[in-house]
Amino acid sequence: MKINWWPWGLLTLISLTLLSFFVLYPLAVLFGNSVLDDGGGYSLAAFTTLLHDSQYVQAFKNTLILGFTVTTCTVLVGVPFAYMVARYEFPLKTLVAVLPIMTIVIPEIIVGQSWLLLLGNNGLLTNFFADMGVELPSFYGWTGMVFSMTLVYYTYIYLGVLAALRGFDGQLEEAGLSLGTSPFVTKMRVLVPVMLPAVLVNALVVFTLVVGNFALSMLLGSRVPLLSVMTYNTFVSEMGGSPALQSAMSVVSIAIVAIVLFFQKRVVERKIYTMTQGRAPAPVQVRSGAALLFTIVVGLVILASMLPLVIVFIGAFTETSGPVMRWGSWSLGSLQRALQSAPEPIINSIKFSSIATLTGVAFALLVSYLTIKKRNVFTQTLDYIVVLPLTISGTVLGIALVQTFNTGWLILAGTSGIMVLAYTVRRLPFAVRNASSTLFNIPDSIEEASISLGVSPLMTFFKVILPAMKASLISAAILMWVTTISELSASMVVYSGGLETMPITIFRQVDGGRLGLASAYGAALVSVILLPIVVAIKVFRINLFSSK
Amino acid sequence: MASITIDGIVKQFSGQTVLQNLSLHVPDGAFYTLLGPSGCGKTTLLRCIAGFYEPDGGRLLFDKDDVTRVSTHHRDIGMVFQDYALFPDKSAFDNVAYGLRARKVAKPEIARRVGEALEKVGLAALADRYPAQMSGGQRQRVALARALVIRPRVLLMDEPLSNLDAKMRLQMRDVILDLVREAGITTVFVTHDQEEALAMSDRIAIMDRGSIAQLGTPEDLYGSPVNAYVADFIGSANVIPVTIARTEVGVAASDITRIRYQLAGQALSGVQGSPQLGPNGALIARPEDLTLLAPAPQVPNALAGWVLRRQYLGFKTAYRVQLQNGPEIRVELRSGNTVAAFHAGDSVQVLLPADSRVVSA
Repeated sequence: MKINWWPWGLLTLISLTLLSFFVLYPLAVLFGNSVLDDGGGYSLAAFTTLLHDSQYVQAFKNTLILGFTVTTCTVLVGVPFAYMVARYEFPLKTLVAVLPIMTIVIPEIIVGQSWLLLLGNNGLLTNFFADMGVELPSFYGWTGMVFSMTLVYYTYIYLGVLAALRGFDGQLEEAGLSLGTSPFVTKMRVLVPVMLPAVLVNALVVFTLVVGNFALSMLLGSRVPLLSVMTYNTFVSEMGGSPALQSAMSVVSIAIVAIVLFFQKRVVERKIYTMTQGRAPAPVQVRSGAALLFTIVVGLVILASMLPLVIVFIGAFTETSGPVMRWGSWSLGSLQRALQSAPEPIINSIKFSSIATLTGVAFALLVSYLTIKKRNVFTQTLDYIVVLPLTISGTVLGIALVQTFNTGWLILAGTSGIMVLAYTVRRLPFAVRNASSTLFNIPDSIEEASISLGVSPLMTFFKVILPAMKASLISAAILMWVTTISELSASMVVYSGGLETMPITIFRQVDGGRLGLASAYGAALVSVILLPIVVAIKVFRINLFSSK
Repeated sequence: MASITIDGIVKQFSGQTVLQNLSLHVPDGAFYTLLGPSGCGKTTLLRCIAGFYEPDGGRLLFDKDDVTRVSTHHRDIGMVFQDYALFPDKSAFDNVAYGLRARKVAKPEIARRVGEALEKVGLAALADRYPAQMSGGQRQRVALARALVIRPRVLLMDEPLSNLDAKMRLQMRDVILDLVREAGITTVFVTHDQEEALAMSDRIAIMDRGSIAQLGTPEDLYGSPVNAYVADFIGSANVIPVTIARTEVGVAASDITRIRYQLAGQALSGVQGSPQLGPNGALIARPEDLTLLAPAPQVPNALAGWVLRRQYLGFKTAYRVQLQNGPEIRVELRSGNTVAAFHAGDSVQVLLPADSRVVSA
């Protein structure tokens, strides 16, 4: 096949080079380091060490158990929830519209922190029940992790299943009924088989997220060894020494996620049924008793999801003395300290996220344009490389970047460059997916029309493609901005003195027991996240969640 | 305006030859249609003319200019797409103005010409509408105005009517013909709809697997198809395998060849241009050219059979007839014809006209 070198061939080449250097190469270094010994020779010693380290083996088991438990819980919450919303009408149902926003507006670190404020050792509810003589189980450990992770991740199941239910042709159930199966049997034999793959696909995503989870594991899992936390701790303690152990641990994490995602792509996604026609049955109004029940259940779930938002603001304005929160007495002290005495984390966060968003969205636009509209062998490769970061948890990505860019001709470690790089690489797959789905819906003929009218292919990109993508680019940028600004796992690994971001500071403050100050930074973080979202929805009238 | 000369164009996709050494000349100002089923190469040929595909061999000329290696945006063509391809973020006015702006036409001149173009397609009042706010027919009119306003050398249309409903399709045929005739612009029109092709074209090129099976006026193609493929594609035809026994040149003071052929063990006769003896002949009999007769008395050039099914279709009645020792064929008679109405199971004779075409299959 003939390849036109100007301009797309050249741009493909540049993109490939950049991706190879900033994604493939760090991964290669990581894999390399995992099988090298101190002298630089080939050795599997690191993996053998891990295999014989009982604590590591325990962490491995714990991680899988946690992944399985949380995934099950999210399915148990998300599926019935989606079914209720898709099939029934009941009071306050419109409130569920806020849920997708909640998942991205509230960073996990804030979820963890605010539940600690309520249920932690010195929490509001803990003390309240203790006064009544009821001893609540400790929130640190399994209870807290399963609880908070379920709250953070159930929306993935909810949204996925809701979409599948809304795409389900209601006539299929009617066909089942007409063929003589009872309503219940019809649901089991007609609806369930079609929904199952959709549930599984999203459940596997949740599983990989739990395995890679850092913020909540670190905050709440101090008594439970977990892979992500151990990997991070090994990284911190190995600083300056041989990177073999941390690399080996990283490789194991990547392998787990890669296996799960491979299974998802190759086995589960192929089983997804596409409805060629028909529409979902209209939601049914439920009777008073059931309506009350539905409203309460849905209300509780939404309340639990939104609570962190409220708690963090209350916490920010609550008077503190040392680690003790004086609930009920208000003060601007924490906020003043956060905003006036130490505003660097806020400035850093805004700076890093803004740069990462601009580069990320621009690069994602280029890559998706090349892979969707200018297909050839090389853009195919581009397509594969760009999804690789999906298999890498933030911690592991951070480790790979630090190992790669702390020596050599390009030293990024210790500079803000590495923060921006980590953010960009982490969110690239999502930004590309976002841009690709829009580009996919722009027919080739529009470009051809422009070219046939006398405009060169390159100018056509700027005059036709960019304007047609405006809305989707703005929403991609906002999503990237809010997700990078609440990023913790990679930041924790790659940051150094002077580069602290808001999530890092919140984590440090929570870890140090200063929940008031943490809440102040949390309130600042939530505010800068909410601002662009409100602007997008109110000013640009953009539906941010059409392609999540 | 320019004539188009396609000279031995070859186009391959991953080893598969889609256009095989194809040549075609479209005179200045003519309306030519490329007609064929999907996969015959008609759209590929159009896209080669547009420059979206670079041919692997052969030449393409607009008048005397060789444009084979000229980029699309320098070819000065107008193109109308199947899905209209309007720019979604631009109003009707801006869509039409797009090509003029690319040509750096002065602003007042743009306003005047766009206004005129929209006027011509009857959309002057909708200049500020966006594509999403217009109906399919309106969008196609904007697309047409956008292609014509730049006064291109040639106009290329890729199944422009196939996304419209039946009524709008008929209406748009006239809109297109009026505009194209008025502008006197050389047009290549791609369609798979034979009726559209017959109704609109000066000449039709019927394409078959990357070559032109027959080029001719609509009347030529309908009346004198060169082979079974063409006959079956234009209108419907019974294509019946026959054995060509003998040819008699110059009967009835013409250069027509009388063909003696055999079918179902019976000796019959018909006409054709270039005969080839042997068992590979095909009789082309259009359903409306056939007549049904009672089984007795026996008449020459007729075949015996019986009616399988009768379908009343209003102005005509269609019969499926099983020929004795032969295939099943379709016969259409005008309803209310004096010929007695036949019913399923009736024995009949099918009368083949003496000028039935017999071709090499």
